[in-house]
Amino acid sequence: MKKTLLVMLALCLALLPAMGLTEGFDPKEFEGTTLNVYNWGEYVDMDVIRSFEKEYGVRVNYKTYESNEYLWLQMQSGDAWDVIVPSDYMIERLIAANMLQPLDKSIVTNLDQLAEGVRNQGYDPDNTYSVPYFWQTMGIVYDTTKIPEEEMEAQGWEAYQNASYAGHAYFYDSSRDAFMIAEKTLGYSANTTDEAQINEAYEWLRKMNATLQPSYVTDEVIDSMAEGLKWMAVVYSGDAAYILGENEDMAYCVPHQGTNIAVDAMVIPANAKNPKLANVFIKYMLDYDASKANSIEVGYASANAQVLAELSGPGGEYEGNAAYVPRAGYEKDEVYVDLPADWQARQPDLWAKVMAE
Amino acid sequence: MKSFFRMSYPYLLWIALFIVAPMIMILLYAVTRSGNGTITFSFTLENFSRFLSDPTFLRVLWTSLRIALLTTVFCILIGYPAALFIANLPERRQTLMILLLTLPMWINMLLKTYAWRGILMNFELESEIKVFIGMVYDFLPYMIIQIHTAIAKLDRNLLVAAYDLGANRWKTFLKVTLPLSVPGIISGITLVFLPAVSSFVIPKLLGGGNYVLIGNLIETYFLVAGDWNFGSAISLIMALIIIGSMYLTKKLDRSAGEE
Repeated sequence: MKKTLLVMLALCLALLPAMGLTEGFDPKEFEGTTLNVYNWGEYVDMDVIRSFEKEYGVRVNYKTYESNEYLWLQMQSGDAWDVIVPSDYMIERLIAANMLQPLDKSIVTNLDQLAEGVRNQGYDPDNTYSVPYFWQTMGIVYDTTKIPEEEMEAQGWEAYQNASYAGHAYFYDSSRDAFMIAEKTLGYSANTTDEAQINEAYEWLRKMNATLQPSYVTDEVIDSMAEGLKWMAVVYSGDAAYILGENEDMAYCVPHQGTNIAVDAMVIPANAKNPKLANVFIKYMLDYDASKANSIEVGYASANAQVLAELSGPGGEYEGNAAYVPRAGYEKDEVYVDLPADWQARQPDLWAKVMAE
Repeated sequence: MKSFFRMSYPYLLWIALFIVAPMIMILLYAVTRSGNGTITFSFTLENFSRFLSDPTFLRVLWTSLRIALLTTVFCILIGYPAALFIANLPERRQTLMILLLTLPMWINMLLKTYAWRGILMNFELESEIKVFIGMVYDFLPYMIIQIHTAIAKLDRNLLVAAYDLGANRWKTFLKVTLPLSVPGIISGITLVFLPAVSSFVIPKLLGGGNYVLIGNLIETYFLVAGDWNFGSAISLIMALIIIGSMYLTKKLDRSAGEE
């Protein structure tokens, strides 16, 4: 009996400093609970998740998805997660639909660590709901032994109308990105809802399909390009960073016509069952250690300013890798805004037809 | 008898919940249009006319039917001799052969398809041929097993009688073995053609990303476009085609049985 008391006393004493240091929560209060995290595929260092579990004595139920649209459909059917990582325009839609809850800033106290390029973006001006996780541009990875650098840089997205690359191109299977590429090449906004412009973009994509006969792929493009199976591919900069690291013949072109800057950010759905722990998790993921481990593992640009600078700087994991740090401040680049409901269905419909032709 | 019928209640409930109810929902979605986020139950046939009036969709449908048909034909062409060969082996060897045949079926279809992807990557082939190879490989065991069962059931005395009456081996095959194994071929067709026409994983993985079949279309409209009404209409059109071909094969089966 005495012994138990002593142990308990010792435990309390040991806990005191920890409680004093952390604000807003007691690190032991979550023990035995579960946190449901829903993230993109191949987008985390699982060791980070495991050490979070160990540190707070919790279980993280970690699941992955492949597209914002799929996530949206699942949210609509009432599935409940504690942390999800949608992209900019989807966050905008979720906020408008009252499906997110504001962050608890007494727990998420490290927002000052965010990189300049991702802070206070249009979809969530004061980071009330979201903490950026990774960010990226879309561009073209190409094999410099097949396409010279000057040739690719001069063409940009126009390379996808160049018949001499027929049969040697991958294209990313995502309606939103496909239309962005066509619209940017034609000199329009990636957020246009103008009927004539979208029809023109549709024709551009049809012509691309007819001239190049590209293979439409998603994540499998990463390994295929690392192996050099085709001459060029549309990829996100984070995947490009990985490909460039694996195959030195590959280079990355961010087209001069402008591209999409995408931010994937951690948010807490309104129906989250463990929102307090979700806030703790978000803080943990933004902190230096987790950010660094994740960025090294995945290749995407960290939202943590210090990590971003360190990994791209001298001696860093991505030193000299042209794809790691996204192009920032180029006036033709755009962040997606959420399209009106009829266009949300219309673009995938047109895109399905392009691919089926 | 009555108590036996009662034992089927759980099964009936299962059917009602997981087969009938979803079918009714698909039907409902297919003949309605969706308003802003909520489903308004206004009846429409525009989902069907949208599919049937678009040459792109019709071509996808045609490609799906063609590849399923070709797969079935090749499964019969390869599967029949194989089944015949196995059926003529001694009993114990037969068991072993059937075991060997079913062995790959224990492996997840996705894994097998990925393996084919790795193999076919090294060859310059039309994507349709790659898809076709993957499909024939995947569905062949079903065909062989069905035909083998039919041939193995065959009464050996009939063959002996045919030889007795002066028929040579070839004639015996044509006049006795083949007609009596038709039911096996037909259940083989049911097991191969129906899944083949709606398959979407194999074309997605082996088609190199520029090969769209009807299953892929349904997936796109449900999961990407979020247009459940149109997706349901395509599913329903598929279902009708499948029911139609089942009816046809049943009829074939019956007329074969009457001969």
